Amino acid sequence: MSTTALLEDTKLGPKAGGLYRHQNFLTGIITGGLAMLVGWLIAHYTLQSNANWGSDMVVTVTMAAWVVGFMAGIGAFNAVFRWMIGHDQDHEDELYAAGVSQGWKRYFKFCTDHKVVGTQYLVLVMTLFAVGGTLAMIIRTQLISPNNHLISPQTYNAVISIHGMIMIIATIIMVSGPWANFILPIQVGAKDMAFPRLNALSLWLVVAAVPPILISLFIGGVDSGWTTYAPLSVQSPPGQDAFSITIITFVVSVTVAGINTITTTLTMRAKGMTMGRLPIFVWGSIVSAGLGLYAMPAFLAAQSMLLTDRVVGTSFFAPAQGGAGWLYENIFWIMGHPEVYVILIPGVAAAMDVASTFSRKPVFGYKIGIGAFFGLAVLAIMVWAHHMFTTGWAPNLADPWMLTTELISIPTGIFFLVIIGTLWRGSIWTRLPMYWVYLFLWNFIIGGVTGIYLSDVPADQYFHGDMFVTAHFHYTLLGGAMIGATAALCYWFPKMSGRMLNERIGKTAFWVVAIFFQVTYFGMFWEGFQGMPRRIAAYAPYFHTANVIATVGAYGLFLGWVILLYALIHSWMNGKVAPSNPWHAKSLEWHISSPPPLENFLVDPIVTSDPYTYGEDEAATPAKNPTPATVGSSEEGAH
Amino acid sequence: MSVVEEHSSHDHHGYYAEGGNHHDTPQAKHRKEHMLVWMLIGGDMVFTALIIFAWFYLKALNVEGMWRGAACTPNFNAGINQSCTDGIGNSITHIIPTASPVHTFAVAILAIVGAGLMWFAEVQARQGASRKTTTPLLGLASLAILGSLVWQIYQFQVLPFTTVQGAYASVFEYIMGSNVGHLLLILLVATGLFIRSSKGLHENGRWYQIHLSRLFSVWVAFSITLLACMVTFFN
Repeated sequence: MSTTALLEDTKLGPKAGGLYRHQNFLTGIITGGLAMLVGWLIAHYTLQSNANWGSDMVVTVTMAAWVVGFMAGIGAFNAVFRWMIGHDQDHEDELYAAGVSQGWKRYFKFCTDHKVVGTQYLVLVMTLFAVGGTLAMIIRTQLISPNNHLISPQTYNAVISIHGMIMIIATIIMVSGPWANFILPIQVGAKDMAFPRLNALSLWLVVAAVPPILISLFIGGVDSGWTTYAPLSVQSPPGQDAFSITIITFVVSVTVAGINTITTTLTMRAKGMTMGRLPIFVWGSIVSAGLGLYAMPAFLAAQSMLLTDRVVGTSFFAPAQGGAGWLYENIFWIMGHPEVYVILIPGVAAAMDVASTFSRKPVFGYKIGIGAFFGLAVLAIMVWAHHMFTTGWAPNLADPWMLTTELISIPTGIFFLVIIGTLWRGSIWTRLPMYWVYLFLWNFIIGGVTGIYLSDVPADQYFHGDMFVTAHFHYTLLGGAMIGATAALCYWFPKMSGRMLNERIGKTAFWVVAIFFQVTYFGMFWEGFQGMPRRIAAYAPYFHTANVIATVGAYGLFLGWVILLYALIHSWMNGKVAPSNPWHAKSLEWHISSPPPLENFLVDPIVTSDPYTYGEDEAATPAKNPTPATVGSSEEGAH
Repeated sequence: MSVVEEHSSHDHHGYYAEGGNHHDTPQAKHRKEHMLVWMLIGGDMVFTALIIFAWFYLKALNVEGMWRGAACTPNFNAGINQSCTDGIGNSITHIIPTASPVHTFAVAILAIVGAGLMWFAEVQARQGASRKTTTPLLGLASLAILGSLVWQIYQFQVLPFTTVQGAYASVFEYIMGSNVGHLLLILLVATGLFIRSSKGLHENGRWYQIHLSRLFSVWVAFSITLLACMVTFFN
């Protein structure tokens, strides 16, 4: 019997886990629902006795009660409560919380195993993309003709806002959720994240945050876009309150997740895993996490001030009582611009690692690439006001902000150099993950170059608020970061699932996505050049042709993602069993079985070289028939 | 990546015991949790800085003269015919009084006392004191923090303005709300420490949880004091 079997089939006592035994996703929903009801009754009849059922106060309290109730029902507070009363969880309780002996049920529980959390994150991210993508299809269908009546203008505004924010939430966690949880601890040689319970907490907080933003669609929606600019958002329907509760909950999640990522990397590395030997994906993840720690409090401040303006009548942003919309815009973009790089950097870093593995070469300019991550993070903090060029705020500062924004092209240019330098003269093995790296390079160069136009004040005066901006940031966040994340998905899918991803279906998805992506967003660039504003439900016939092209492209793009989803599900259920190292990669996660056992390493690894020693101990061309490694062992053995 | 394997001297499924810290030496455990607390403080510093930014930004803009000016409320009761414009269309505002610094600083001082008592309890625990010493200190710390929290809530009742009366009032009450949140958090932690101490869980060198809690409590006390000075001397 292997030691893995010993661990994962450990028989726990009948009381192991305590209350955890009876808690799962369903109890979370039931408890959250009951809490909502209690919150609604209290708010409706006590706090604001003259309010209607859907006043700002009632909605806010009800949604906050849902979050607290759901988290209590799933078991997030058990350990805290037991700590408070001095009755700490014992060894068996912790093993139960880590999912021992629970099989598939652990995926529906407050499980502390980082691999379970990573998998839960992946499913959550794909669900969010499905919802956000469906809303995008509604938007594009509305825009297929100039005066379409598919949805009302009010509903259109709400759909635009919710699409934007769901996609932002999904993209923020699309790499840091699945891969920084599943892969990063293994890459640094750790048995789990530094704080397993905080890890589960971060996941379930996002789950708790989703229903309020979806409910907001049915209580008037949010009509001020994903940025929820004040003072318009101060006057929005009660859906805005639910939206703010979602953001505040999400901020807590991202903050604890970021702290966990950084602490794991800095304190839990295996012997010999110096900072200079970390895979570049780990560097990207910790820079992104650090930037998130700076940015997220601003999101909390902006949304909580907005909420108090709406619920208790403060006047942060309402000029009629001494507030200022510019205050909101400043605080929002102090969060908003760094957040772009919170999203982007891990995806880029993953693409770099994929490029290295499939070109059988070390990451070119490893240290310069890391420097570019830090440089980008610093610049990201300095450039928030370039989103406000046309607002009239501090016009004398436009030049410095234009300059610092244009400086961003230097670290982002370095990203290209690193990836292209890695590919240059490599023994390139073009498997499915590499397809996505190529697409990343193509898309991100377009997203990057169009960003330079927008950083330029005179050009921004024309383009600001039109579809050119929409196309630009979709090329950057979807075409760049999300395609990088897709490369990571295809690369690490065998490690996560223990199955090989079906490349035939995956490549079909790739080509459909790659082609229709260009059609969609070139259509939007055209709309932008013609001067079509963003966020409008009806438009002049002059813009019709470009909108038809963008809409047809969007349908195709959606189809491409559906095909990829099918490939994932099909492969997870029926795919070929994956060997431990199907790509002959060098980093630590490829030294253990696919999927990895609980606690990852049954023997503690000692690292003696960097993760990119290609060519030193192998022929440049990978072997055709890799040998599956045994659990916890190194394929290379001692060096 | 070249690796060699080292057979662990530990029980192979021990990581999850004690919340994922079983393999750690006490030093490593402290380092992890230290880092956690300092990063939480760092995030909270950004949040506090943004409140300060909002205060000075709105004060400097003084939109429509309503930093500390409240809009006139028309009163047509009992035959009073009060106009809220100056005759040429401008709204009439009146300056609202500032909040009493007594309450503001009482909250801060009690928070400082609470954090100080926690610090003293930590010093005692580090020197090997028994539960008979640390438990009363942590109990008093909890009471001080509770006192600060109650006083902060009481201050809402005695403010000479309401949230709708201008930007000053808005930010002031937002700060009070932020204080309530922070004090509630450290009250829960201090109460937990008190209960645990009474069970002897901080004896025999197990002082680091008091230490970590003290770090955050000191930060909270400092930020409350900083904001108290700001709202009192720069209003």
